[in-house]
Amino acid sequence: MISRSAAELALSAALETGGDFAEVFVEDTRRNRLQLMDERLDSVTSDRSHGAGVRVFSGASAYYATTNDTSPEGLVRAAKQAAAALLGAKKLAVKPLDVVVSPAPFPVKQRPGDVAGSRKSAILHAASKAARAEGAAIQQVIASLSDVETDVLIANTEGVFASDRRTYTRLGVQAVATGGGGNQTGFQGPGRHMGYEMFEALIDPEAAARTAARTALTMLAAPLCPAGVMPVAIESGFGGVIFHEACGHSLEATSVSLGNSEFCGKLGQRIASPVVTAVDDGTLQGEWGSIKIDDEGTPANRLVLIEDGILKNYMIDKLGGRRMGMPVTGSSRRQSYAFAPTSRMRNTFIAPGDSEDSEIIATMGDGLYAAKMGGGSVNPATGEFNFAVSEGYWVKDGKIDHPVRGATLIGRGGEVLRKIDRVGKHLKLAQGMCGSISGSVPVNVGQPLIRVTGMTVGGR
Amino acid sequence: MTMRLDDFLDLLFRKAREAGLTEFEAYASSGDSFEASVHAGELIAYNVSSAAGLGFRAKVNGRMGYASTQALDEDAADMLVKGAVTSATLTETDDPQFIFEGAETPKLELYNPALDVIPDAEKVQMALDLEKKALAVDKRISTDGCAVFYSAGGRRIVNSKGMDAAFRDNAIGAYVSAVARDGARAGSAYRIAMGRSGAPDFDKLAREASREALDFLTAEPVPSGSYPVVLRASAALELLAAFADAFSADEAQRGLSPLKGREGEVVAAGCVTLLDDPLNPTGLAASPFDGEGVPARHKAVIDGGKLTALLHNLKTAAKQGVSSTGNAARGYSSAISVAPTNFYFQPSEEPLSKLLARAEGGLLITELQGMHSGADAVSGDFSLSAKGYRIENGAVGRSVDQITVAGNFYELLKQVLAVACDLEFGQPGRSCFGSPSILVEKLSIAGK
Repeated sequence: MISRSAAELALSAALETGGDFAEVFVEDTRRNRLQLMDERLDSVTSDRSHGAGVRVFSGASAYYATTNDTSPEGLVRAAKQAAAALLGAKKLAVKPLDVVVSPAPFPVKQRPGDVAGSRKSAILHAASKAARAEGAAIQQVIASLSDVETDVLIANTEGVFASDRRTYTRLGVQAVATGGGGNQTGFQGPGRHMGYEMFEALIDPEAAARTAARTALTMLAAPLCPAGVMPVAIESGFGGVIFHEACGHSLEATSVSLGNSEFCGKLGQRIASPVVTAVDDGTLQGEWGSIKIDDEGTPANRLVLIEDGILKNYMIDKLGGRRMGMPVTGSSRRQSYAFAPTSRMRNTFIAPGDSEDSEIIATMGDGLYAAKMGGGSVNPATGEFNFAVSEGYWVKDGKIDHPVRGATLIGRGGEVLRKIDRVGKHLKLAQGMCGSISGSVPVNVGQPLIRVTGMTVGGR
Repeated sequence: MTMRLDDFLDLLFRKAREAGLTEFEAYASSGDSFEASVHAGELIAYNVSSAAGLGFRAKVNGRMGYASTQALDEDAADMLVKGAVTSATLTETDDPQFIFEGAETPKLELYNPALDVIPDAEKVQMALDLEKKALAVDKRISTDGCAVFYSAGGRRIVNSKGMDAAFRDNAIGAYVSAVARDGARAGSAYRIAMGRSGAPDFDKLAREASREALDFLTAEPVPSGSYPVVLRASAALELLAAFADAFSADEAQRGLSPLKGREGEVVAAGCVTLLDDPLNPTGLAASPFDGEGVPARHKAVIDGGKLTALLHNLKTAAKQGVSSTGNAARGYSSAISVAPTNFYFQPSEEPLSKLLARAEGGLLITELQGMHSGADAVSGDFSLSAKGYRIENGAVGRSVDQITVAGNFYELLKQVLAVACDLEFGQPGRSCFGSPSILVEKLSIAGK
């Protein structure tokens, strides 16, 4: 996208005022989005975003400037803006850009740009029809298809010249059931780091739509969830959002490097129940949260975060690594050139354990079975998290009794990790968009069915 | 190579006409922003960004097509024209579509040149001072976010019907998140302020954030039950933001709002008046015209408890046989939708203390979390993580955390007993939400 010499010029300008590291990130992204509503395609948009960000470090301080102008002059201008706040003199020369990091991208058989609009439209119509066929109470279906092809180039003063192409395809189906004076919704959002071949072997749009519709219909008939402290069983797949919020964010250098995580200084210590092993893996073929290289040009890896309850690793970016005196973990990410990168999750999940799903429910007494989760959030400084249950069931004496709606789970990360007493055998991943200071990035969450001995359940 | 906007528009419109298009429009937005973040007395992040984007839409056989770009070159002009035509051809909706001819728009002063000339080094110093003030409150305080930021932006709509409307605005703001630590306990609280008249009151931001963080060191849940609740302005405005879509005619026409067809009905207590006011320049979503170029105007959405109108753009208004309320929303890369501007509950003259006195044994909720998942605008149900204080002896008492507050927004509107005078606005996005503190008869609390 830019030549080595253009990158070198910008890096050199970035070091002009005494910075001790500089990096150029260039991005070109093509994005298409189609949305169907009322059984008709009602919005079709295509966008090309294009720009660059130049980052300079001086010790543990970071300076960042962005521009849409990726010409050699535009990059130098951005580099000078980033460097302007440093008032020193040049002390470092740019190394030749000979550390080439350009792994083959994840394979894409049907590039989004080559797929006919009529085929995309047909996928949405099929999903909408399938959802509506689940019941007359399904009064609205909003189905959307998003695809993204993004080329990135990263060059830095350590000599790295890295590039990658990332292709993402995702379906979203929101079904709305109406009846009894109220509305309830169900959502499914399967996606992959690949092209439209995703719909041939891996994702059935109609099945996803039916699942969304069934959640909405089930919740329409559900009474409100009782509130209180109780055992909670959380289903596989998107249930993994509990680990993502309760623990994952607090293991990112973003908070750890500034002393703002409850897990600071706890490497090698027990932070979770012995049944918990948790992994952040950027290498899974074609998965939504996978990356070949991170946004600092470091190849992705598989990182064990917690092993049998013991904290093994944090997720670390270059700046965090400087503050912590530790190496990077290939998990520095950003939404786009408009954001400076920081440590982020990729595919983050609780690894399979050895409990039987049936036993997990049968021995829990009275409590909540969270079959589908919504999103959540956390404050890493205090560990306080919350997330919503989008499809819940009341468990009475070890038996799933009836659906309940409107439940929220809250707690503190450190406490909930110690209260996980069962981990099932069947790992499933699910897709989400994760927001943090470097923007919104695709991540997988995941886990088998797990059980927490006691959590505060918000309801009415 | 990047072209100047005017040259690019000439090229784009020429290509559009060559392609046989007759009704089309370009929407350009640009913004410059600055942010300095500090931690433990050091500058840790210094960000300068400059970004621009251009959206193009065109009406083809009665249907609207969209395409957008950040690169302004000849390729981009071709891609926009082709993309908009492809988009319009795929689109199946028969909803009426409009390219507006333009109209006289109100004059608003939204750009304060005095903010533009504050040197970046001074803003860095402001952030360092803000943190120093927060740390000075107590030795147990640290920060996990302390920043001063500035943004300036511009928007312009130019179309084939002769409209060429533009405006620019700017604002400065500051943010501090204080964390109090004592042994294994941690309490946190944050304050944020943003405006265009000048730098925020740093003393107040720092003092309030640090003191509240200290309060939460000893916070405990309350027993589960039903409590009278005062939602402090900062929490009430978050709740309004989560349910604002319900006031969109677009959502209503799609069957996604329970307020559909209820114009003229009583939907809230008599003390509730909800305003959408793009003309109030202190609100950071103020603008002289909306995303379609329709002049902005002040309106009540709920007036004394009665739903007076939903928010409309040209399309939703035409479908319902009414006039646009000037609430078309768009970003350069998105299709036209509907959104509020400065959207807030009208304050009364009662101080917060009066509301507390009426809620003995209840809770003052200061912060709500989990809005993007725990609040469902379609059903109105919410179940949110909350923090705050007990109301004891008619005043703020012991601190409370690890609770959830649950209810239904549409029921809550009817259960408002009083609103206070302390109107506050939140962080602006495409809309800017505001509220005074609100006393609600009862909400469900889950605690211990």
